[in-house]
Formats: sequence, C-alpha cells, structure tokens
Amino acid sequence: MKKIKMVSMLLAVSLALLGLAGCGGNNSQNSKAASGNTANSDTSATETKAKDPVTLSFVIPNTVDTAPFAQLFGEFEQQTGNTVELQALPGGEFDNMMKTRFSTGDFPDLFLMQPGTKQYVKLRADEMLYEWSGDADVWSRIIPSMKEAQTLDGKIYGVPYGATGMYGVFYNKDVFAKAGVEPPKNYADLITIAKKIKATGVTPFYEGVKDGWPAQIFYLTGWVSNVDPAIGDEGVAKLQTNELKMNAIPELKNLFVKHKELIDLGLYQDNVLAGTFDEMQTMLGEGKAAMVFNLDGIVPQLEKKFGKAFVNDKLGFFPFPSDADQGVAVVTPPNQLMIPTQAKHADAAVELVKFMLTQEMTDLYYAAAPGIPIFEKAKVELVPVQQTVKDLMEAGKSQINIQNRLTPVFADFQKLLQIFFIDGDVDKAYNDFAANYEKDGKSKLLEGFK
Amino acid sequence: MKGSKYPLYFAFPALAVFLLFFITPTVIGFYYSFTDWNINADTISFNGLDNYRALFQEPRLLTAFKNTLIFAAAVTVFQNVLGLGLALILNEALKAKNFLRMIFFMPYVISPIVIGYIFRAIYHPSNGIINQALNSVGLGFMAQDWLNDPKFALFSIIVTDLWRVTGFSMVVYLAGLQFISKDLIESSSMDGAHYWQRFRFIVFPLLAASLTVNVLLAMINSMKIFEMVMVLTDGGPGYTTEVFFTYIRNMFSTGQFGYATAVNLMLFVLVTLIGVPVLMGLKKREMEY
Repeated sequence: MKKIKMVSMLLAVSLALLGLAGCGGNNSQNSKAASGNTANSDTSATETKAKDPVTLSFVIPNTVDTAPFAQLFGEFEQQTGNTVELQALPGGEFDNMMKTRFSTGDFPDLFLMQPGTKQYVKLRADEMLYEWSGDADVWSRIIPSMKEAQTLDGKIYGVPYGATGMYGVFYNKDVFAKAGVEPPKNYADLITIAKKIKATGVTPFYEGVKDGWPAQIFYLTGWVSNVDPAIGDEGVAKLQTNELKMNAIPELKNLFVKHKELIDLGLYQDNVLAGTFDEMQTMLGEGKAAMVFNLDGIVPQLEKKFGKAFVNDKLGFFPFPSDADQGVAVVTPPNQLMIPTQAKHADAAVELVKFMLTQEMTDLYYAAAPGIPIFEKAKVELVPVQQTVKDLMEAGKSQINIQNRLTPVFADFQKLLQIFFIDGDVDKAYNDFAANYEKDGKSKLLEGFK
Repeated sequence: MKGSKYPLYFAFPALAVFLLFFITPTVIGFYYSFTDWNINADTISFNGLDNYRALFQEPRLLTAFKNTLIFAAAVTVFQNVLGLGLALILNEALKAKNFLRMIFFMPYVISPIVIGYIFRAIYHPSNGIINQALNSVGLGFMAQDWLNDPKFALFSIIVTDLWRVTGFSMVVYLAGLQFISKDLIESSSMDGAHYWQRFRFIVFPLLAASLTVNVLLAMINSMKIFEMVMVLTDGGPGYTTEVFFTYIRNMFSTGQFGYATAVNLMLFVLVTLIGVPVLMGLKKREMEY
C-alpha cells in the first residue's frame, strides 16, 4: 500500500509539474497578447534609436520582390536600431500558410497580404488584426479609391502598399519584330500571331504548369475581357452569394475551350508540364518564348536577370483580347500590410508601417520597384509596360481582377489546370472548377454556400 | 536474479510524459475528428460521423489511398530485397567494404527535402542528367518527363526513396549477419552445401528478426511518406501522386481541421490494420538457435 501511495504521489507531482509548465507557457502567451493589444495609433515613426532594439518578422509571398522592402528596412534599422527579418513563403500556398500560422498562434509582426476586404473574412480581422481606420496620418497620402477598396463596414485592417498590379500578356518585342507581328486586335488575331511566331522557330507561349499558379493567369486575365462583359456586376454579386453557378457561364467554359486550343495547336513549349516561373522568365528574356500570361511580379524578376534595358526596351504588354476587340487590362490594388494584434512586437510594427508611409520612403520604394503609384505626389518613373496599363486605365479599359472581387477563391485551380494540361477534358475541368469554388465557399461557411 | 529487477515506479515519470505528450493529444485528436472544427467557424461542435462520411465520398482521397499503398508495397519489397543483397555482398571479405557500407548508408542521413531537390534536378526533362545521359548514349527515345508525366511520376518518387532508404535496411541486415555463427556456415560448407543452399536454409531463416524489423519499419515509414512527394511533385501533376499526408496537409492548410484529423485517424487505422498482421506473421517465423 505504502508503495502504491508513493507511486501515485510521484505521478501526481510529475503531472502537476508538467501541467504547471504548460500553464506557464500559456500565461506568457496571454501577456504577450495583452501587450500586443495595447498597440495603438499614438505610436509614431521615430528618428531616435530604440533603447532595446527588437527584430521584427515580416512575412511576404515569394512571388513579390523583396529587394525594395529590404532597402526600406535598412533605412528603418539605421534610424531606429530595430531590424526586420524577411520570411518569404511560397506564393501559391501563402494564404493557407498564414491562416495556419494564425490558428496555431505563430504570429509574424507584420505581413504582406493580397489586397481587398475579403482577407478580413479569412483572417477574422476584427479579432486578430490591428485596425487602421481612424488614423488620419496613415491615409493622408493614399489616393481615396485605394482607401475605399480596403474599407468594409467602415473599418480598415490593412494598409495598401506598393503599386497597382496588372495581369495580362507580356511579350518579347524582338521576337515580335522578327516575326513581323504586332499586339493582337482580337483573340483570333492572337492565335494568328502565335502561329506566325511558331513558324520562325520560337515558342509562342511559355507556361509554368509545374509551379501551378502561373497557369491560372490565363483565366484571371481572360475573365475581365470575356466573362465580365457577359455577366456584369450583377453576375459577380450573384457568384458571391452562390445564386449563379460557375458552370452556368458559357463564356467561362469558352476560356477552357480557348486554352485547350492553345495546347492542341502546340503553341506552348515542349515539356509544358515541367514549366516553372523561373524558366518562364529565362525563356522570355532570351527570346526563346514570345509571350507569357503573367502578372507584374515578372517585371522586377526580368530586370534582375536581364537588366533594366531589357525591361525598358524589349518588354511589351497587352491585355487578353476578347473575341471582338483588344480587351481590357486586369488591375489589382497593391498588397496590404497587416499587423496581428497578438504579434510580439506589434507596437514596433505599427511604427515601421508609418515609417514606410513617409514621402521619403515611398519615393525610395518606387525608385526600387517602379509601378503605378497609389500615393499622392509620388515620385516614380514608370517602365513602358506599366505606362501601357496606366494609359488603358485612364482610357477606362481596365477592370479589377475577379479574385479581388469575390470572397470564395478558385480553390485548387492550379492542380485542376495541371490535370487539364494532361487530359484536355474541357467539361471535367469546367465542372470541377465550379465544384471547387462551391467547396471553398462552403469551407469558409459563407452565406449561400453553407 | 530477483535483485536485478527495478521497481515499477521508476517508469512512471517517463509514462507521465508519454501520457501527456502522446496519449492525451491522440485522444483529443480522436475527439476532434468527430467535430466540425474549422478555421472560419467561431465554435466547434460535435458533428458525429459527418467527417467520415465526407472522406469516403472524396475521390481525391481514394487516389491518395491507392498511391500510398502502391508506394508502401513497392518500397517495402525493394528496400528489403536490395538491402539484403547489399548486406550479403558487403558481408564478404571485400577490400573496400567499410567504405562501400558508408557510401550506401549515407543517403539515409541526408534530409529527404535535400534529396528531393537534388532529384528534381536529376529528373529534369531537358537539363537533368538522366535524360542527358540517355541522349548521349543514343537512347534518347527512352528519355521521359520523369516527374511531370503521370505514368512515371510515382515510379520516380519510389526510386528516389529507395535510393535513400536501402542503406538503412542494409545496415540492419548486416547486424543480423554478424550474429550468425561462422561455425554453422563452415560446417554446412563441409557438408557440401553451396552458396544458395546455405543462404536458403541457414542464413535467411536466422535473419528473421532483422527481416521483421526491416519490413515493419519500411512499411510504416513508407505509408507516412510526405517530404519526398512534397518536394518532387507536391502530389502532382494534378492529384496523380497524392498520398495521405499531402492530402492531410492540404486539408489542414485550408483550415478544415476536424476533417483533416479524421483523415489522419484513417491513416492510423490503416497502418494498424496492415502492420499488426504483418508483425504477427513475421514474428511467428522468427527462430533462435
């Protein structure tokens, strides 16, 4: 009996100790959370070095060029003593990885997120994110339409930062010149151009199927020229609430048909399934591929590989054409900076954001990453492809990317497209696309999908 | 002998840790597999067998199930055949046997992620050394897109993993071979038994314990394959190389925690259902001399 008693006591003590250790961990987490919550708008950019410098973690998708941020953070370190550690996560998985980090309490101090208010739903902004709505300093230079794009029920949880993005077709001007072709006037013209380029021995289109996400651009950029005119804003609103089904839009199905046509005509590179974003840049830069469906993130990458002269003189851009005309360009508001309220150094992160918003820093940012600016009086030198899109925007020939207008995402689209490249089954791909969209709405517990 | 035994409570601190960090999370996980735990929901509530019903209706999981079994069966069989073969060769009095043992074992200590990236380059359809080698010796017609063609992708992952793990089996078999008495072998030789007969009737039966360990570990580890698939194909192209863990990862990352836990539990049941009979069968044929 004595033995049993002793054993039970030992067990109880060890469990209690372990339990206490667990509770202790929890308490410290809570106190961190509490201090995070105290982050408020009275913190401001300081030019004096912090007494106890901290290292802030900044999480960014690896599809975004980190160089301009690194430059800004260097300045921040010089002025405050605080350093910023960049963590680049895979672009295709970024949203999911951030959500997972949130759910496990692994909060970065600051992170870059896709634009728009739908992210508020995903990240449960009212509980988890620092609110910027009432901070006049933050919004003083940001152009009003960008502020509007971030506002939901009068609240703003993300500060837009960077340049207006663009999706479309990037092309190598030298290859076009050699084939004697010009940017297309309509979709049929695009096919004719591609055939002429193929006849010169150059691959007309390069696609990054292995990486997955690049293959989606065909549809996102094709949507605004082909699907939007057919369903209008009303149709988009119905998609948002699941009143309109994705597989009830013939124009969307037609995009799959068009894509299959490109595959069947052999207008993509050899080994198309092995295509990567990296090789896409190389092929386009070296003139081995004529055109790519991509986003503006490719511009700084091309500049890194082939120099500024290439981007200025050899790189061209045109929107995905519709059957009738040259189509419209897809634009995206810039990514937004967000701060989890429970971040370890939320105060310092707020200070960093305000530092990044100063005229000096935005000018520095645009010098390193020129793009269509969102700040008033911003000094920026646009590269020609950006000027093309700016001109289209001013001519009313642009539309915001459909994924920035819908809360459910085109889930597993990249996997679906990999299968589509293998089996070429239009009906299957189109129906799976619709099913995955509904599945995503359901998993997000959205109205109309539950 | 009685004096050499230690009191049972010596095991209790370890048992407490095990209870707290293994049994408790497992039980909690079991409970969560019956809930609608979702990153987008404010509450977690019991939903009975809904998750299990959903997973049985998911064709993607069926693909993952099929691929996991093919992978596990192929790796278990070939890892053991090759491991045993290597052990037999390197148990002989070869000059460079220690060096060779090290070379064959080395891949096992390299991270599967690193191996994955190396083999991604090796398998590249135009720049990879496999296709370049085939082209240079006039066998260009055999060149394939090893990782992106659904016909070859799973096969390529199997070969890569075999390259990584065969050395481990080799070491376990070598250890087993060291315990076989030389007298037995020598006396059977004197009785006129040739190499195959010695292997068939003496060596192989006495390696039964090593076989049990190797088969069981190979089977369990290969059913839990994840990193290699993630780096080489990420379950693609499409879902053609999807395995249980890539599917589970995907479900977790989309915030469907309750459902993902149910899938994880299915894998646990599957490993147990296959592992226990295999273990019992192999144990039965173990012998001592």
